[in-house]
Amino acid sequence: MKVEDVICPFCGCLCDDLVVEVEGERVIGVENGCTLAQEKFMGDHRLGHPIRRTGKEWTPVSYDEAIETAARVLLEADRPLLYGWSGTQGEAQSVGVHLAELLGAVIDNTSTVCHGPSIMAIQEVGHPGCTLGQVKNRADLLIYWGCNPIDAHPRHMSRYTTYADGFFLKDAFRDRKVIVVDIRETESSNIADEFIRIDPGGDYEVLSALRAIVRGKGALVPASVSGVSREQLFRVADLCKAARFGAIFFGLGLTMSPGKQKNIRNAIELTEELNRHTKFTISPMRGHWNVYGSNEVFTWISGYPYAVDFARGIAFYNPGETTAVDILKRGECDACLVVASDPGAHFPRDCCAHLASIPTIQIDPHVNATTHLSHLQIPVAVTGIDAEGTAYRMDGVPIRTRSLFPSRYPTDTEILERIYAIVAREKGP
Amino acid sequence: MKFLLNTGRTIRQGSFVERKNSPAYRNEASSCRMNPVDMMELGIEEGANVMVTGPAGTVVMRGVPEPGLRKGEVFVCLGPFANHIISTETHGTGMPDFKTTVVEIVPTDERIAEIWELMESCGGWRYEG
Ligand code: SF4
Repeated sequence: MKVEDVICPFCGCLCDDLVVEVEGERVIGVENGCTLAQEKFMGDHRLGHPIRRTGKEWTPVSYDEAIETAARVLLEADRPLLYGWSGTQGEAQSVGVHLAELLGAVIDNTSTVCHGPSIMAIQEVGHPGCTLGQVKNRADLLIYWGCNPIDAHPRHMSRYTTYADGFFLKDAFRDRKVIVVDIRETESSNIADEFIRIDPGGDYEVLSALRAIVRGKGALVPASVSGVSREQLFRVADLCKAARFGAIFFGLGLTMSPGKQKNIRNAIELTEELNRHTKFTISPMRGHWNVYGSNEVFTWISGYPYAVDFARGIAFYNPGETTAVDILKRGECDACLVVASDPGAHFPRDCCAHLASIPTIQIDPHVNATTHLSHLQIPVAVTGIDAEGTAYRMDGVPIRTRSLFPSRYPTDTEILERIYAIVAREKGP
Repeated sequence: MKFLLNTGRTIRQGSFVERKNSPAYRNEASSCRMNPVDMMELGIEEGANVMVTGPAGTVVMRGVPEPGLRKGEVFVCLGPFANHIISTETHGTGMPDFKTTVVEIVPTDERIAEIWELMESCGGWRYEG
C-alpha cells in the first residue's frame, strides 16, 4: 500500500510530500525523502519490550511494571529532571509539562543544547521571522550562517530556497543568490555564490562590521575582520541591500560559538538594520523535527520555552541555572526521566556520569547511548510512522503527522498519561 | 600539538542516529577530521588512530584527512566521542562549548572504544540486545 503526503519526522523541515510504501507493519519504500528520511522510515531496530537493569543485569519487564517503577522513582525523588521531548508529539510534551508541575520537577528540552541561545536572544530583541512559504515564494537572497543544510536539513534548499521555484521566482536557481558563512568548507559552502569564511569565534565581529557598513559607518571597518576582508564585507552588504527579499537562516555555528546568545542578538539586529533598506527576515534552522513544538508547548503551559523549574510551586526559568547540563554538572537531580532524546550521546561526559549514578529512566523506541546509562527503558511507537501526533515545523507551523500502520507499541502520550495518573493518585488532590 | 575542536552534524551521523550500537555509527562518531598537512606533520596516516585530550578527558579516535579544514582546526560529528572530552562549563548559558574546545592530539596504537564502553566508563552498563 502506498501512502501519500506523508510527513517526515526527522528534521525541522517536516517535509510533507513523502510517498511511503507499507507492507503490514513494515515500510518497504520511501519516495521524495532524503537519505535521513530513508533511514528513519526503513529503520528496523526497535527495542522489543521494556527492559530494566539491576546492577549489571538487564531483564525484560512488562509495561505495567515499567510504568509503576517509573512513577515510583519520580515520586521518591527530591529533585527530578525531565529531559528531552523534541522527538515526540506535542500531546506527550503537554503531559510532560503537567507531570513536571505535579512533581515540582525541572523540565528541559533539547533546545538547551541547540537553539536555547537563539531563544534567549529572541526574548531580548524579538524575532523578525516568517514562514518557509514566504521564503520559497519571495526570497531572492539567502544567507546560511553557521549551518550546513546539505548535511543537517538535506531538503531545505530544494523545497524552500536555492532549488525551489516560487511564485515570484520562476527560475529559482538563477534568480536567487546564496551566501554561506562558516568557519570551514562544507557541501553547502561549495554551492554558494559567496562564501564568507570567518575565523572560529569571529561571528560577532563580522556581524558588527556588516551592521556598521549597512548603517553607513563603513569607514570604521578595518582591512580584515576575523579573517574576512573589508572588500568582501562591502560586497556582501551591497548584495543584501540590493535584494528584494532576504532571508537569513542560522545554525549552531552561531549558538554554540563564543558569544552564544549575543551572536544571535547581533544577527537579529543586523536583520533589523537591513529592514531599513529592504525586506529581511531571520530564522533558526531547528534540528529535531518537533523541537519547535517543545518550545511552543512548554510556553503555552508554563510561560517559558525550556529549562522550566517547578520546585517553587511556580514556573521559574533561568538558563545557566535551570538548564539540564548545569543541573547535571552540579549533580543536583536525584532522578531523571529522559523522553525522546539521547543525552548519553549529546551531553558532556560528566553529565553522563551523573545520569549513570542516579535512577535514569528512558522512554524511547531505540537502544541509544542513554540506554547504557539507564536503569529502565520503555519502548514506544514512533510518531509519524506508527503513531500520529502534532509537530511544529522550524517556522512554527503546526503539522499533524500520520500513522502508517497500527502499532504494537503504546505511544509516549499513553505511557506518560499512565505515569501521571499514578503520581496524581499518590500526591492526592 | 594543540587544535581547536569543532563539532556538528554530518549526514552519516544523522543516518545512523537510531542505531547507536552499530559499527557504522561508531565509525562516524569517532572520525576526527583534520587538515592533511597537520596529519603529515604529526605522522598520522589516513585512518590511523589518534589520542585526543580535552578539558574533560581523553578519547581515541580515527584521523581522517579533510582538505576543507584549516590547519589547527579539527572536526568531529556531535556524539559520545566528542562529548567524552568536552567540558560541562556553559558560562551561564546552558550551552557547553561544543564548537571551540582546545584539544591536544597525538598518534596512538590504542584502539577505539565501543559506544557502550564509553558509557561504562561513565558508570553505566552495556545493553547489547
Ligand atoms: S529534509 Fe528533513 S524533513 Fe525533509 S525528508 Fe529530509 S530529514 Fe525529512
